Amino acid sequence: MLASFDTHLFWTALSSGPYWRGALLALGLASAALGAAVAIGFFLALGRESRLRAVRVFVFLYNWIFRATPTLLQLLFIWNALPLLWPVFAGSWFTAFMAAFVALSLNEAAYMCEIIRAGLLSVDPGQELAGRALGLTRRQLLRRVIVPQAIRIVIPPTGNEFITLLKLTSLASVISLQELLTASGNLAAVKFQYIEAYSAALVYYLVIVSILMALQSRLERRFTWTSRRRVRARVSAPAVPAIPHDAR
Amino acid sequence: MSMLRADNVHKRYDELEVLRGVTFEVDPGQVKVIIGPSGSGKSTLLRCLSLLEEPDSGEVSLEGKRPGPGEVGMVFQRFNLFQNMTALQNVMCGLVEVRGLSKREAQQQALEFLGRVGLADKTAQYPEELSGGQQQRVAIARALVMRPKAMLFDEPTSALDIELVREVLDVMESLAREGMTMVVVSHELRFAHHVASSVLMMDEGRIVEEAPPDEFFSSPKEERTQRFLSLVE
Repeated sequence: MLASFDTHLFWTALSSGPYWRGALLALGLASAALGAAVAIGFFLALGRESRLRAVRVFVFLYNWIFRATPTLLQLLFIWNALPLLWPVFAGSWFTAFMAAFVALSLNEAAYMCEIIRAGLLSVDPGQELAGRALGLTRRQLLRRVIVPQAIRIVIPPTGNEFITLLKLTSLASVISLQELLTASGNLAAVKFQYIEAYSAALVYYLVIVSILMALQSRLERRFTWTSRRRVRARVSAPAVPAIPHDAR
Repeated sequence: MSMLRADNVHKRYDELEVLRGVTFEVDPGQVKVIIGPSGSGKSTLLRCLSLLEEPDSGEVSLEGKRPGPGEVGMVFQRFNLFQNMTALQNVMCGLVEVRGLSKREAQQQALEFLGRVGLADKTAQYPEELSGGQQQRVAIARALVMRPKAMLFDEPTSALDIELVREVLDVMESLAREGMTMVVVSHELRFAHHVASSVLMMDEGRIVEEAPPDEFFSSPKEERTQRFLSLVE
């Protein structure tokens, strides 16, 4: 056993308010940002295939800007510079949480756009043709045929993105958001017990990600179409290249 | 009056002129079989007839009007069933989404049509659990349930294993006997012989010859048709 590991302090930290709230905040921020990013990313993905050149150019510029610049810079820009540019953002409603939410959503949308586009393109175009022959509109086709099948392809890389986002929430500590890393940093700074303070934070991250992984495999089964749902999915999703992990 | 009609239809993709003025018509209850080499424009002609492709010039009409949604049924070489729906849901889809029927009503009609193609026991199966022949019969039921005025078949058996071809052709034959107006692109010459009212030869975006099957197969007039038939048989 480690000589200097203070088990009591570790348990205290694990069950302390700041850790709990920090973890909840990280989870809430990551979930909200992912939700918004999926919605924005979906329309960006449709925009990339648009017949209008201006729309395609807009999506290209959007993805370029948000992927080529550091997330931390985007966060600082939105928190500090946006209120100077538009007075609306100087109001008290624009909290550190809101700023982090906006920054992470916009950033993540650029990545989700590519993932969702790949998902939409993976659906065999013959089904679209058949749907049009029946008289389905483009909207009905997307909703009933294309999107449900694209979801199957989109789930695994989106799980990755959620994990990335969860960790990115720690960036928000620089704009004074009291998330999980801040909590452990504070504790460590006061007690100089780095091992216990950081270990407790580690446990939180591990637990959150484990729950997410379980959820993901359930979702994947939900979107596999055989009449033997309970059987473990034998159709494996096309391999999606793991995003080489990025210090965004 | 003809049921389905194409009038001097032209279609090009960029530099490639796929249809160079095709005029043809199908009377109610007639079955026309189109043969021809690949790239001759057969599939494009069917897509123009169902308005999946808009012709560059020329007219397509169904009973003198532009075909409405689902009024011309289409069956594809690769079945193109919706993979996320069961056989039953595939057949119901058009009724619910396009015709606005209630789920119950749609289900009743879908079951009836799946029965007609001999798949009453496969309603809960997803496409990937069905054989090619079964998938194609679901696809036929999916088109038929919309009560189309004409049915188009684009090489409906050429993606099938040999022993599964028959079950699909049987369904098509009985459909023809019931008086459905049909245009079939196919190289199943025996089917053409038995079922077709007339057979057409297409080449390079034009119809080169049209004749009743007996005449078409025993004494084709055009040299192009003779050459093609000698290769197919």
